[in-house]
Amino acid sequence: MTLHIVSKSPFSSNALADCVGTFGDDDALLLIEDGIYALSGDIPESLAAGPVYCLEADAEARGLQIPENIRAIDDAGWVSLCAEHKPIVSWFR
Amino acid sequence: MAKHILALCRQAPYGNALAREGLEAVLAAAAMEQTPELLFLRDGVFQLLGSQEPASIEQKSLLRNLQALPMFGVETIHVCESSLRERGIDAKQLEIPGAEIELVADTGEFIRGFDTVLSF
Amino acid sequence: MKFSLVVYGAPHASQSAATALRFARALLAQGHQLYRVFFYGDGVHNGSALSAPPQDEADTICGWQALQRAHGLDLVVCIAAAQRRGLLSESEARRLEKPAANLADGFELAGLGQLTDATANSDRVVTFG
Repeated sequence: MTLHIVSKSPFSSNALADCVGTFGDDDALLLIEDGIYALSGDIPESLAAGPVYCLEADAEARGLQIPENIRAIDDAGWVSLCAEHKPIVSWFR
Repeated sequence: MAKHILALCRQAPYGNALAREGLEAVLAAAAMEQTPELLFLRDGVFQLLGSQEPASIEQKSLLRNLQALPMFGVETIHVCESSLRERGIDAKQLEIPGAEIELVADTGEFIRGFDTVLSF
Repeated sequence: MKFSLVVYGAPHASQSAATALRFARALLAQGHQLYRVFFYGDGVHNGSALSAPPQDEADTICGWQALQRAHGLDLVVCIAAAQRRGLLSESEARRLEKPAANLADGFELAGLGQLTDATANSDRVVTFG
């Protein structure tokens, strides 16, 4: 199962859209850095199949609330996610 | 067992350095006989257009790096089918002599087959 | 588990270098191994000895150096990307007849083969763009 890491805002970059285009049923999505701004819109429905995580520190830093269906994790949780998933794909532009 | 590695190429060729530096990384791996598979996705498919003439913007042709790949044993170049369609590109416009262009319909399924993905 | 990190972001220009540093600290704290950090593209600026951020800002480069000293990390700056962007070791500065060298302690310049090697020898490779 792939872990997709998105670090750019969906309002300024295609990173999330490109990621969604390759998203599989068991894949997981992690929002970091400006990728967090996806939380202020509607998370695309196609992602609902897999778990969506976000880095709590990045959300806090940006003053965004984390919706209930998004799992907030810290850096240690991120490392664990990476250990549990393969391959890991970063979407950063 | 050798690891199954994918170079995921998502950048158009001349606007930023990552497309070129990505291909340089692929060629370096190929020179060590650890050639990754390549998948061109979204704007990355623009790297494959045969009509590039970048001399007038004082850049080296990226296509030349791509054309070196078959010499290092790259027989197949994978290209996302929907990325071509979105950009109005016909697969016939893409040509890497010595390598076969293989269109990938389900990129998610394709990516899941690899151990490591390097994003460029 | 053995991790390697690939860093494309210049420190103090985007968040990604700082994120990579935090991730490196977290994985080491969990007892994982960090096989190599490979700085590529604009990420080569992480190895600059001349960066001087204001005192009230986190110093990413010092952060890498501290982690390198504590864990003996392999911090590799891609030599080809570094030369293009003006990041040189003393021997490279001499060889290329440039007036100064600026590679920070704890980092080394090496070729792209080190990225290939890291990919082949790590269980996980995470890219920070």
